[in-house]
Amino acid sequence: MLEETLILFRNIRNPDYDKSLKGYKKAGGLKALKQALEMQPDEIVQLTKDSGLRGRGGAGFPTGLKWSFMAKDTGKPTYLVCNADESEPGTCKDRELMLHDPHQFLEGMMISCLAIGCRHGYIYVRGEYWPSIKSLNAALQELYDDGILGKKLLGKGPKLDLTVHPGAGAYICGEETALLDSIEGKRGHPRVKPPFPAVSGFNACPTTVNNVETLTCLPFIVNEGAEAFKAFGPENNAGPHLISLSGHVNKPGVYEVRLDANLKDIIYDFGGGIPNGKQLKGVIPGGASSSVLTADEIDVTYSFDALAQAGTMMGSAAIMVFDEDTDVVKLLHRIVRFFSHESCGQCTPCREGTHWARMIIRDFLNGNGNEHKLKRLHRVGGNMMGTTVCALGDACGMPIQSFTTKFADEFRDVQALAA
Amino acid sequence: MLALDTQKEIAQLLSRYPIKRNALLPILHVVQKGNEGYLTPELLEEVAGICEVSQTHVEGVISFYTMYKLEKPGKFHLQVCTCVPCCLVGGEELLEHVEQQLDTHAGHTADDGVFSVEEVECLGACSYAPAVIINEDYHEQMNPEKLDRLMDELRTQGQAHA
Amino acid sequence: MDAFPTEIVRFELDGKTIEALPGESILQAAQRTGSEIPHLCYKAGYRPDGNCRACVVEIDGERVLAPSCCRNPKEGMQVNSQSERALHSQKMVVELLLSDMPEQGKSPYTQRSELDIWAEKLGVVQPRFAGRQQPVQDISHPAISVQLDACIQCTRCVRACREVQVNDVIGYANRGDHSTIVFDLNDPLGVSTCVACGECVQACPTGALMPSDNVGLEVSDKTVASSCPYCGVGCLLTYDVKDNRILRVEGREGPANKSRLCVKGRYGFDYVHHPDRLTQPQIRCEGVPKTVELLNPSDFDKVFRPASWEEALEVAASGLKRIRDEQGPQALAGFGCAKGSNEEAYLLQKLVRTGFGNNNIDHCTRLCHASSVVALLEGIGSGAVSNPFTDVEDAEVIMVVGSNTPVNHPVAATFFKNAAQAGKDLILIDPRRIDLARYASYSLQFNPDTDVALFNALMHTIVEEGLCNEEYLAKYTEGFDALKENLKDYSPEGMAKVCGIPAETLREVARRYATAKSSIIFWGMGVSQHIHGTDNARCLIALALMTGQIGRPGTGLHPLRGQNNVQGASDMGLIPMVFPDYKPVGDPTAKHFFEKLWGTTLDPNPGLTVVEITEEIHKRNIKGLYIMGENPAMSDPNLNHTREALARLEHFVIQDIFPTETAGFADVILPTSAFPEKTGTFTNTNRQVQLGRQALEPPGDSRQDWWIIQEMAKRLGLSWNYRGVPDVFEEIRKATPSMAGITWDRLEQDHSVTYPCENEGDPGDPVIFTDGFPTPSGRGKFVPAKFSQAAELPNEEFPYVFITGRQLEHWHTGSMTRRAGVLDAIEPLPIVSVNPSDLGQLGVDAGTTLTVQSRRGKLTAFARGDHGVPEGNVYMSFAYNEAAANLITTDRLDPFGKIPEFKFCAVKLSAGGDPAPRLV
Repeated sequence: MLEETLILFRNIRNPDYDKSLKGYKKAGGLKALKQALEMQPDEIVQLTKDSGLRGRGGAGFPTGLKWSFMAKDTGKPTYLVCNADESEPGTCKDRELMLHDPHQFLEGMMISCLAIGCRHGYIYVRGEYWPSIKSLNAALQELYDDGILGKKLLGKGPKLDLTVHPGAGAYICGEETALLDSIEGKRGHPRVKPPFPAVSGFNACPTTVNNVETLTCLPFIVNEGAEAFKAFGPENNAGPHLISLSGHVNKPGVYEVRLDANLKDIIYDFGGGIPNGKQLKGVIPGGASSSVLTADEIDVTYSFDALAQAGTMMGSAAIMVFDEDTDVVKLLHRIVRFFSHESCGQCTPCREGTHWARMIIRDFLNGNGNEHKLKRLHRVGGNMMGTTVCALGDACGMPIQSFTTKFADEFRDVQALAA
Repeated sequence: MLALDTQKEIAQLLSRYPIKRNALLPILHVVQKGNEGYLTPELLEEVAGICEVSQTHVEGVISFYTMYKLEKPGKFHLQVCTCVPCCLVGGEELLEHVEQQLDTHAGHTADDGVFSVEEVECLGACSYAPAVIINEDYHEQMNPEKLDRLMDELRTQGQAHA
Repeated sequence: MDAFPTEIVRFELDGKTIEALPGESILQAAQRTGSEIPHLCYKAGYRPDGNCRACVVEIDGERVLAPSCCRNPKEGMQVNSQSERALHSQKMVVELLLSDMPEQGKSPYTQRSELDIWAEKLGVVQPRFAGRQQPVQDISHPAISVQLDACIQCTRCVRACREVQVNDVIGYANRGDHSTIVFDLNDPLGVSTCVACGECVQACPTGALMPSDNVGLEVSDKTVASSCPYCGVGCLLTYDVKDNRILRVEGREGPANKSRLCVKGRYGFDYVHHPDRLTQPQIRCEGVPKTVELLNPSDFDKVFRPASWEEALEVAASGLKRIRDEQGPQALAGFGCAKGSNEEAYLLQKLVRTGFGNNNIDHCTRLCHASSVVALLEGIGSGAVSNPFTDVEDAEVIMVVGSNTPVNHPVAATFFKNAAQAGKDLILIDPRRIDLARYASYSLQFNPDTDVALFNALMHTIVEEGLCNEEYLAKYTEGFDALKENLKDYSPEGMAKVCGIPAETLREVARRYATAKSSIIFWGMGVSQHIHGTDNARCLIALALMTGQIGRPGTGLHPLRGQNNVQGASDMGLIPMVFPDYKPVGDPTAKHFFEKLWGTTLDPNPGLTVVEITEEIHKRNIKGLYIMGENPAMSDPNLNHTREALARLEHFVIQDIFPTETAGFADVILPTSAFPEKTGTFTNTNRQVQLGRQALEPPGDSRQDWWIIQEMAKRLGLSWNYRGVPDVFEEIRKATPSMAGITWDRLEQDHSVTYPCENEGDPGDPVIFTDGFPTPSGRGKFVPAKFSQAAELPNEEFPYVFITGRQLEHWHTGSMTRRAGVLDAIEPLPIVSVNPSDLGQLGVDAGTTLTVQSRRGKLTAFARGDHGVPEGNVYMSFAYNEAAANLITTDRLDPFGKIPEFKFCAVKLSAGGDPAPRLV
């Protein structure tokens, strides 16, 4: 029986936990920050590199390495922007951290600011998350009141300010450069790269964008060391991981796992299996943009590498489960409708491609599909991949390609039904 | 003219950013909240001035993000999610139910301005689907009966205030 | 980011090794070396945006395709633009876009749709996707029609509007497949704040934005590379001509405009086809009296009769000859025009000097920068600008004084705004808050008329805080002690109240200007058109000299010249005190030189200036006048007096393209060619000599100006025999050493050459005074100025200050622009701008009439509320004959520059009144 590891959720799973600053301190909080203040920034970067921490936002990029790319001696301020724009369908893990244990996350953010020499960090929270915004603002107020944040970090360190910046309803702002445009006060258009944010980010200054869960790992890494962190999970997939389980399972929720768990076990042990005794039809294993797995393909280790090998990805670790009664054409329509709605509209293959893909799938739903259109849908999907400014093209293309391949017969069934 | 409280909040926001334009999104939120949940051309012009951006820049921004409204919403604004995870567990049915109850369609205001309904994409509460946001609060693992009860309470509240 | 490449990079494109120059993208390198990669959102000169993805290429070792417009190649990079994957993606982009075109195919709005061109090249014929609902056409604007069904969301128009011309009207709204182009807050274009520069139209690749008259589908007979007839910026442009009519105008790559134009340059050309054009010589009918009243065009035939050229020229010349012979040379005068070419200006001044036998030749420079030129000649020995305005790119601080640049030099202003966006400090000094203020670091709205107080306070600060450039002072200047002494009385603290600017702001501005690595000063008529205009300019010169902010790129003094050829006309000696190249008429060497060149004796006494000539006419001392193009019955101050004078002339010959307000007073009218109907050289504010080329045949029996002047000269007894404009230019090279190196052939080839260019092959010097000044001592001279007040101050009876100037859509006296369809449609009525709070006090609603009265005259115009106009002030342009602003102005002159005080007189305002009938 698969069980939760409790590192990030250590406090949250404690029913008596008091999430205020006082409570957090009582639970051993801020020890890591104090320790980090005694370290050189480079040491924190090295420690993070050594820990093998990879970004929890979806791309899985090594965090320490990302920090080390920051342009130095530019004469400009350096920024850490936390990506709390959790909006990949299926994902709701960062919200748990912000709502129920904001101080652990903020401690991680403060440590990270020290690592990259940031004096004013911003937390970009998706606009709909008002409860999380309120929770963070209350926690920040405590930190300011306690003299931890402000002119001198912990009363003796460098100046550090943190500001919560609300988004306003745009999935694409989870893409880091779109997020930067958005926090600058613009439309959230992903930027053509290079330049990368580490050279030209927020207001054209060197910037690192890190996910909430990523930053929340920092207190543990500083307290327990790189090796302890690495010890969780297999090689190259270090540390605890929060997964969001949703769809047709008996016990949906956010769970903390090691990345050597099996996807099947996650669904049946954590999720308690499929409701109403139904059979599993498929799983979207890493957010709406990951390639779908059929019921036969779910016996796979839930890790960055194993999922990549299985032709899909872990993404934001959002597992969406659907049962035998699910209409996959309709499901794909929902997915593509989402991406079409969320396309920023800047580049042609995505702006036009998501629209046409949606139109073609709608034809199937209306009984106007045919073999020709199935092929075209597959090609439009393929054409969005690797040709767009940001990864939204790929994000929409992957489900289109995987659904039309793995469930091609169901598209044909819809036709047959209509005929 | 913006209310004094709003102006104060704006000044506070401006102080948190290197340049005024950076504060555009939060300022729009504050201004919208101070104006019964929607923005008018006059307010947008004022915000453009405050943030030192052009009107067309503001237009580009407010039309890009889904949360800025140009029409007055109901006293209680319902955002019903029908994105993938919610859809799998009854989000669409929930929306249909609300539309029926209020005898309206998503995108409209009903019940003499007490409620407005909007169909939205993922709200980020997927493990607690289906989710509905009413004004700023999340209501999770909803079903038609729970939502009816909630709306009845709100309706009474709304009428009491009116 | 990839480090900005500083050297040539070799890389492989489609199997062929090519070189990329520093900074070039893959696409640019490909284009330069003759390879084609499809592209739609890329436009040369614009920031590449990489959004259309038509230019994607495959780069070895990269998973995703790269937009070649945004990627700098690296040494050894293997790029494939024609691999199956790249081609497939390029085609898919074109197909997706094409499917949304109206009728799923060619753009129905333009013959030149770039999408159609690429579709054809890539073999994309019939799109396989069904089109979707498209927006309806927006024809609310007189100049530009908007048909977004042809829009491909490439955002070239957005970049045109926000990054190139920086007008900030066009935006990108909504998202995904709802993405759309919007104006302001999603307004119709016609009610938006659009200034109709048309950059977006020029930028649009598919005809979604087009000129409003459907010309996109017409095929032109020829295109002619020429320049713009309006302001001193000197934009180069292309005329598209069909059946001897101009179809459209496009900006062309020129040193001063980088393909940009403004509303006048782009849409103000159809005046040449206006039915009012004079097509036949006219002689005043016998016995028709001259009165101060303007001639109503409907009465034209009652006053004038058509004549043959032979008769008209004979009457014109013999009348002048008779006065010269009977009453002496001093009874004649001539007015030239800064709209004419260098060759025309040269010939006209030569005609007056050698044919009339005096130096009574002047032109509208007297009304614009005469005081600036006097101060510059006195202080630094040259009246021209020290640096081109495009030097703002190299400047840290850009100070703009008394110039509403976006209105009067719109394209120059775009470079200022570009510079401000790039982080340079823009400092504005102007009583009005002008549109540039949005981009400015400082906007000093000082009290009108207190210029000297303000400038002296800035200089006081610089001296007091030890910010002078001592090394520069010692090496290149003289007279600093006297200046320093004078500045003692002008502390910022003392002057703050006088000029209405806080002392600390004055100090900050002074520090910023003095301590920046490079600071450049621009000024306009707000400085020059005062009775202390020369003093104002002296202060600006002193400011630059004391800080050494001159003689290097990004520094210097730049009086923004108004007319397209006011620089050239002055260079050509179309002014009473100097021969060509500013040689004083009283200087024996110069006189000798020109006597030899022109083969005749010359009058050594300086002639009279514009307003002085009018005065002498009024006194009946001057009896004969020959005007080429000027319109003093509108442009000169105190018009009732001026018109009285014109009516007193015994013999008055005018050559013009229209029956102007002034022409009504003439005895003979000679119809001439409009700008696009002739070839000649024109010198812009940057000292760039540029070619205007003939694109059209003149209408009817109108003739070229140079030909008319020569015919007049012959009939005045001169033996001229120029065969054409190049002949005249050859003589100019002899008369003007600073232009001696410019050949006609080079102009034909390069379109634009900067002077000084003394020897053939010289590149031309954009930055001068790099090592001292062309003064006798080689040093720049400080001339102290004391604060003095305007000729006519407001009082209880006349409590408002009346400021005149220009407006974007209308050129000077309106003779061209009020006959240009689009311009007239945008601004059809005389407008007087008043601060809304004053309007409120007067009980006048914006849009209703307001009567303005001074001691000299009265007019009624339509009130417009303008927060930029300070309370107690009134602003008006002088383009409207039904409400001629110069009826109000004073003819008191600056004692040095002899320029009238157009920028200040006292008026009273009253609600209501009936505007006079419009006479155009």
